[in-house]
Amino acid sequence: MDKIDKSDIFLSVVQSNKGIIYKVVNSYCKNVEDRKDLIQEIIVQLWKSFDSYDDNFKHSTWIYRISLNVAISFYRKESSRKKISNPLTDGIIIFSDNDSFENKEKDLGVLQEMISQLKDLDKALMLLYLEEKSHKEIAQIIGISETNVATKINRIKTGLKQKFTQLKNQ
Amino acid sequence: MENTELINIWKQQNAKIEKTLAINELLLKEVINNKAKSSLKSLVKLKTSGIIAFVFYLLILGHSLFYALFNYSSAWNYFIVSISIITVINIKGFSDYIKHLVWTNNINYNGSIMEIQQQLSKLQLSIIDHAKTMCIQIPFYTTFYLSNKWFPQEIGVGYIVFQILLTGSFIYLSYWLYKNHKPENLNKKWFRDMIAGSGGKSVMKAMEFYKEMEDFKKD
Repeated sequence: MDKIDKSDIFLSVVQSNKGIIYKVVNSYCKNVEDRKDLIQEIIVQLWKSFDSYDDNFKHSTWIYRISLNVAISFYRKESSRKKISNPLTDGIIIFSDNDSFENKEKDLGVLQEMISQLKDLDKALMLLYLEEKSHKEIAQIIGISETNVATKINRIKTGLKQKFTQLKNQ
Repeated sequence: MENTELINIWKQQNAKIEKTLAINELLLKEVINNKAKSSLKSLVKLKTSGIIAFVFYLLILGHSLFYALFNYSSAWNYFIVSISIITVINIKGFSDYIKHLVWTNNINYNGSIMEIQQQLSKLQLSIIDHAKTMCIQIPFYTTFYLSNKWFPQEIGVGYIVFQILLTGSFIYLSYWLYKNHKPENLNKKWFRDMIAGSGGKSVMKAMEFYKEMEDFKKD
């Protein structure tokens, strides 16, 4: 595969899975400027490991693994933004219609807010659950047993449901 | 509230994401073509001050050592031994610093979250071990200026007592710092201040996250 082919294939993989990157970044990063940097970092890491991509896994599993790993590591770096030598002024993923995200459904807003408040690992688990990934796939991405996945999801879900109902009734 | 309800709420954003998100292809290509390739360079650039300081200090140590060896006399013995030990420890410190930079930069994120995050946290916590090694050199800063020609006739008992006390207290300080360079002390301000130059905050966060992962695995 020559370099042009490779970057075109990569582009089409990112294009078809841009929603995953957006949802991960949105859940882990509140600051708008930091989001651009996090997207940039995720893209760089995806590109770096594109050669070693294992066909046994789906593209989405690969993207989830890298995006979640980069997002979780992002805030452990000191002054993340300063560390990126050339922070982007424009974003790689752009919103063609900003309003549609501002006027999102109230329930979705509440759910997103609750997800963003979860601990990093619980957040990863819930994101994958809400994306309807199988327990097997979630176990592969997170690196814990399927039984552990099921137990944890049930516990987090119960907490989320209670909180959701409380918030909606307020 | 049903399980499917949470999933349905979450799905509300999918159509919008498909419709409103676009990839800036030009920027993406620029990032993958330039930035990925030069990421090590940019990392080195960001850590320039640390690298320059280390190299500069090693050059001074090396130069002094060569000077002492080429102009050898027994008067230089304390100097040669002390500076050699300080140099070796600093070379070890410098190589650890570079190794750490390269490892952190080359980590492959394509693994399970637990595996990669544990690897990263351990890597960040290894800064403590590197800093620990640096403590060993402390007593040698109280011996490099001594000369065996001074002893015992050229100096008084008072100075000998002072020197023993000084070196003794530095040995104790070095031992104490060595013993207390451990992740358990990350909640102590003095310790965080000491390793601040090596990325203290990151180490602290790594430690917290490591504990979180241990708890996560237990459930």
